Amino acid sequence: MILEVKDLSKTFGGLVAIRDLNFVVNKGQIVGLIGPNGSGKTTLFNLISGVLKPDKGFIKFNGMPITGLKPHGVCQKGIARTFQLTKPFANMTILQNVMVAKMYGSESIRNMKQAREECEKILEFIGLAGKSSATAATFGLVDRKRLEIARALATKPRLLLLDEVMSGLTAAEMEEAISLVKSIGDFGITLIIVEHVMKAILEISDKLIVLNYGEKIAEGTPQEVVHNKKVIEAYLGE
Amino acid sequence: MTELLAQTFVNGINIGALYGLITVGLSLTLGVMKILNIAHGEFLMVGGYFAFWLFKLFNIDPFLSLPLVAIALFLLGGLFYRILLAGVARFHEEVKLKNSLLIGFGLFLIFPQIAITLWTADERAITPAYSGGSLPILNVRVAYVPFAGVIVAIVVILFLHLLLKKTYFGKAVRGTSENWKAAKLMGINVDRTYLITFALGVAMAGLAGVLVGLTQSITPDVGMSWTLKALIVVVLAGIGSVGGAFFAGLILGVVESVGAIFMGPYTVALGLLIFLLILMFRPQGLFGKS
Amino acid sequence: MDRWKQILITGGILALLALVPLTTTRTDLLTWFTFTLLYITLSQSWNIIGGYTGQQNLGHAAFFGLGALSSRYLWLSGIPLPIAFLLGALVAAFFALVIGFPAFRLRGIYFVIGTLVLAEILRIVVDTLLPRALVLPSKLLSTYSLVPRYYISLGIAFLTVAAVYAISRSRLGLGLMSIRENEDAAETLGVNTQIHKLVAFLISTFFAGLAGGIYAYYSSAVQPGYLFQPVWTFDAVIIVFVGGVGTILGPIIGSVFFVLLQRLLSLYLPGGMHLAVFGVLFIIVVLFLPGGLIELMSKLRNRILGGSRLN
Repeated sequence: MILEVKDLSKTFGGLVAIRDLNFVVNKGQIVGLIGPNGSGKTTLFNLISGVLKPDKGFIKFNGMPITGLKPHGVCQKGIARTFQLTKPFANMTILQNVMVAKMYGSESIRNMKQAREECEKILEFIGLAGKSSATAATFGLVDRKRLEIARALATKPRLLLLDEVMSGLTAAEMEEAISLVKSIGDFGITLIIVEHVMKAILEISDKLIVLNYGEKIAEGTPQEVVHNKKVIEAYLGE
Repeated sequence: MTELLAQTFVNGINIGALYGLITVGLSLTLGVMKILNIAHGEFLMVGGYFAFWLFKLFNIDPFLSLPLVAIALFLLGGLFYRILLAGVARFHEEVKLKNSLLIGFGLFLIFPQIAITLWTADERAITPAYSGGSLPILNVRVAYVPFAGVIVAIVVILFLHLLLKKTYFGKAVRGTSENWKAAKLMGINVDRTYLITFALGVAMAGLAGVLVGLTQSITPDVGMSWTLKALIVVVLAGIGSVGGAFFAGLILGVVESVGAIFMGPYTVALGLLIFLLILMFRPQGLFGKS
Repeated sequence: MDRWKQILITGGILALLALVPLTTTRTDLLTWFTFTLLYITLSQSWNIIGGYTGQQNLGHAAFFGLGALSSRYLWLSGIPLPIAFLLGALVAAFFALVIGFPAFRLRGIYFVIGTLVLAEILRIVVDTLLPRALVLPSKLLSTYSLVPRYYISLGIAFLTVAAVYAISRSRLGLGLMSIRENEDAAETLGVNTQIHKLVAFLISTFFAGLAGGIYAYYSSAVQPGYLFQPVWTFDAVIIVFVGGVGTILGPIIGSVFFVLLQRLLSLYLPGGMHLAVFGVLFIIVVLFLPGGLIELMSKLRNRILGGSRLN
């Protein structure tokens, strides 16, 4: 098991964001994380990636505890994430954006020339090859999302957390995104994906975890989860 | 000793009221528009020099010139908002803050130079005939002019308080400061609200300037030290707390005054140090919410 | 522009600058050049923390002053000049180390105000402890010459620009810029933002200390409190922004322009008018031209070269 989350809890003021969360992810899996708005999905990502510290419980990555590590430490261990609202380095070139990740992530490359070569390969994989000297500020939504993923990949993650990459995409773009995610999985990278677009996530995931009000209400294959009464209730209300 | 303490206490209230007045304007702009006007003190300077001119050239009593200064600076503030800030005010908070800070910084460079050209670098004080007089109450000398200054400050701040609590404009201000997008959807003219808010803040700085001219003096570089004072009081009070700004100003004035007896030349430095500690450990201030 | 051309041009400029004292004995010209080099050092040092890392440190004057005071004291106590400069800069950097951790706990506007206040505290303390001007002993006054001052400025300015250049092309530079652009994203990608901000701060204040050393060495008499006045911070900030924030040439062009304007305007107008002009330029830069003079120059160059230049 590559990721173990045990008794995880997080409260903000009076609001319980995550409550007694337990689950396990195995190496090579593609896990879909779904749930109605406000169910705690992004908070969970923030807890795993070190942006937030849990009030209770722990997180283990490859058997090693990572609870309480700062985000850069979590990245060094091999976990990368993307943000729902993309955070590009606007005044730097695309190449520079990815170079930062390559030179600071896990298995970082200190030699600039070597790093540049690796980054150009990543840009080609993700479909941004010709634009490496464009400034990130000039990018539209789709390319910004591509950049976000390219940067995360450059840190050589063993586990990649994708936060709503499909939102705002056209049907054609979504098809591309789905096959991109699948090929990332083919590299042996474990994936946890938060998504609202049901069709996509049902297609890609090996298993689904469903959150509601910060608690896990269901876990299983897409088929099982889709027919689960609690899940249906959570999405449709009472 | 108690006489000395009582006297310094009164002096502290006098200067504290001015601190409160200068801060209220800054706090209003910061709380409502999330813009930090670093040139706030420069408008104090303009108000002071304007009152000085009215006094020297037209013999207008400084207390009578207060409404004139208020109107003039209100218009000036509105003008500056229109030209420089209107575009910036609608940005994402971080960018807006940075840009408005930089623009204010530019003004902070320009104003003193204009002042030197118009009034030279000499100190200018507004000294009407009744300037030096005072009234002994108990064993303390209560000087007329500073006391009147305290009254003026209280009146102005009460006026602002009523404006914010009882009028439609006040509702618009409160709505806009909480969520300008929602306010806009509800029909509030956000741009006009910002304009009036900013102009009000500047007008209050101008009024404080008149009082400073009466009780101390106006020089071209008086702006920065008053902006710094206002910044300190704003942080002490908590951003957006208008009433709190006045009381925090009084507290600072009294603490400084009384502290000076014991700390001498290091008073201001110590005050700044305490300010830094508050900044680090209780950034919401004394009266702000967590 | 390729590597060799860059090296040749830089070498050429340095050679020309080195020859200046040999071609003229006019003190006003030498002073003008020395001050331009001083401002290049000062502004480039702020560029490191403010321009590349995006942390608007308004307490820069404190480090200028610390470097100035320490190196002057050490030099007059008999320490050889280069060592005095080095130690002075280290004093400044040490102070930065001490206040760095608490200072960077403040974010955004609080950091800006906090650094300003910190420098003010230091200024008041220095002003109260050392109110009287420090004057060079008569032996040094009688042998005072601008020439060594000029060369020291030149050397230190070159070192500072070289440092900024090296940073901008290194991994460190990428890390610093990523912090400026988006601190949260940088953290998530493996950049230890705490340490990086501190490193940038140390380097920045070290060179600010060197700049202070230049000024202290140049002045035959100086009031200690003046060395800590916020004007030294503000001059650096406006030069960097108007010149082109986060670039190498920006502060250089900005400094040349700044001192030139100061000298020219002071002939016809009261003392500080160049500040007002720069204030106006500053506002223009913020509203219309965020890349400063550098951006203006590249736009003009594109316009002049017209269609033959691809974006």
